[in-house]
Amino acid sequence: MSNIVELYNVIKTYNLGEGIKVEALRGVNLKIARGEFVSIQGPSGSGKTTLLNIIGGLDKPTSGKIIIDGTDITPLGEKELARFRREKIGFIFQFFNLVPLLTALENVELPMLFSGKLSNKEIQERAIDLLKLVGLEKRMQHKPTQLSGGEQQRVAIARALANEPAIILGDEPTGNIDRATGLRIIRLIKNLNETLDQTFVIVTHDLAVAKASKRTLFMTDGKLEETPPKTVLTIPAPVLMEERRQLFLAELGWLKSSLLILKERREEIDPDTFHNAFSAYKTRLEKIRKLLKEYSSAGGEKNNEA
Amino acid sequence: MPRTSIVALKIAYRSITRRKFRSALTILGVIIGISTIVSLMTIAYGMRTQVKNTLNEMLGAGIIVSSRTSGVDIPEYVKDIILNVSGVKDAVPVITTMANVGNQPVLTIGINPKDATRLYRVSLAEGRLLNQGEKDSVIFGASTAATLGIQVNDTVTLSTQMGGVGKKFRVVGLLRAIGTGELSIGCFLTLDAAQELVNRKGYVSDILVILDDPNLGEELERTFRTMFEDASVVRQEELMRQIDRIMNIINGVLLALGAVSLAVGALGILNTVMMSVHERRREIGMLKAVGAERWHILSLFLSEALIISIIGGLIGCGLGLTSVYLIQWLVSMIGLNLTIPLLIAPDILIGAFLVAISIGLIAGLYPSWKAANVPPVEALRYE
Repeated sequence: MSNIVELYNVIKTYNLGEGIKVEALRGVNLKIARGEFVSIQGPSGSGKTTLLNIIGGLDKPTSGKIIIDGTDITPLGEKELARFRREKIGFIFQFFNLVPLLTALENVELPMLFSGKLSNKEIQERAIDLLKLVGLEKRMQHKPTQLSGGEQQRVAIARALANEPAIILGDEPTGNIDRATGLRIIRLIKNLNETLDQTFVIVTHDLAVAKASKRTLFMTDGKLEETPPKTVLTIPAPVLMEERRQLFLAELGWLKSSLLILKERREEIDPDTFHNAFSAYKTRLEKIRKLLKEYSSAGGEKNNEA
Repeated sequence: MPRTSIVALKIAYRSITRRKFRSALTILGVIIGISTIVSLMTIAYGMRTQVKNTLNEMLGAGIIVSSRTSGVDIPEYVKDIILNVSGVKDAVPVITTMANVGNQPVLTIGINPKDATRLYRVSLAEGRLLNQGEKDSVIFGASTAATLGIQVNDTVTLSTQMGGVGKKFRVVGLLRAIGTGELSIGCFLTLDAAQELVNRKGYVSDILVILDDPNLGEELERTFRTMFEDASVVRQEELMRQIDRIMNIINGVLLALGAVSLAVGALGILNTVMMSVHERRREIGMLKAVGAERWHILSLFLSEALIISIIGGLIGCGLGLTSVYLIQWLVSMIGLNLTIPLLIAPDILIGAFLVAISIGLIAGLYPSWKAANVPPVEALRYE
């Protein structure tokens, strides 16, 4: 069995500016064979979509090597990547991403028009065949807005199949449709995988997709594992932590100034109210100091509070 | 035409028809710009033709010998000297000056009646022509008469602009506008009467020289220059060229005005295509994900700008011509007998249409280029 996808130590770092860098992929190695149906699970921000972008040639890695269907796509330029995408890759998106101004049939024809290998007649015939395959022969002249979510996703699947791609990549294909329809979409994908030997890689939160797939991978913090992670991080990304720390710092400042004002105006306020307010502020202040200490040590950063 | 361009046109067309109101506003911007240019240029073209025709008729002369100052300084006998020059067919002494009727300045021409009928196609609207040597009668051009409210048999007082006491005249006739409207403007009297009016007996302001052969013009102009050093000698062609120059300046000013409104139209296109690109970032990313290259995206949005500018250009040309008719009608409604001939010049229309297309291209280029540079990862960005 030949490999459709081979990833060697792929690293992707996003530079958010001001020296903040996010490592979305931290050395991913992956082999996917022809005819596989792989699902990738993982929390938000773990790098699933980045992985999909990189396999699909939508984005380039910071380092590492990517071989798709025998071609090393790492050195390809923009124009070659566009050709690579339309010949080797099919995409299915969470929000279907059909061209809203084109009919279902025209949407399916689009990738074939871009590749320009078939005649107009052949393109139309193939598009009709594909729509029949996904069970939409009666809705071919409808625009996306006239179709249900499930129907739109079927059109998207037909479109993904148009140029007989080596692999179809799906980003949460059931994420925006109801459960029953989602199950039908999963059945369709499984069916295509079995009858056409079409390779699928699908990123999802949907356990039903994971169950239907032949192999499930887990993504945590930019790393890909074959087994599910033991612990689930409540605060996954350091960025998020830093954000919370900033919020606590802001509240701390506010509390301090409130205490100061309270002390200055002590004469104007009756003693009971003063003591109640003062102790309430003081308690919250202590709590935030404690929280900040935890966050700072966890994030490995210097305590800025002083 | 590549099939992808047809798809681009299809998508662009549907994008325009989907946002009807926005597209209509943008097209309106182009229409205003183009129709302004077309109407202004057509009016200017009509005016230019009008002025040229008028001059041809009015002067009917190959060369004009006139006083260097605007005074009446050429002795009448110069006419006889000119007549003796070989190649000269005829010479007509005239006085052209501005005189006041009441306090309205009026172009006043003193010419002997037999010279006038020989030189011009004279057509009476009312009354009679002047007799040779008649000193207390005038004829008015019909449109000047209408403006001043003068009728046949009225008595008018003409005074030179230098001041002095006015002289009374009886209006004996009105001249009809013929051809493109000349001779309907101004006040005509006999040469003798004009000389008395300006108090320069035996002198004239201009001598119109008619040539045997128009090709002699340049040579005779030189001859006259040496003969009459103190006078200004102008060939009609030259005069035409000068008028052309003035008309070109007017044209330029009108064009600049049109350019401002065109710029507004261009900004409209820029804005609309920018918004379209902004709204459709994910769609662009998706198109790239399914294999579209930069130029596919570029042609998609350029098509949108082009369709807008072509529609705007066509309607603008039509509206421009219509508004010229409208202006003419309005002018005649308020009682001005200003006959600007409406001449449809194909080159103005074609030019304006080409301008519309190039504006679409120029204004569409930047947003289309921005669209072409949208990264394909936009397809998977959900916000």
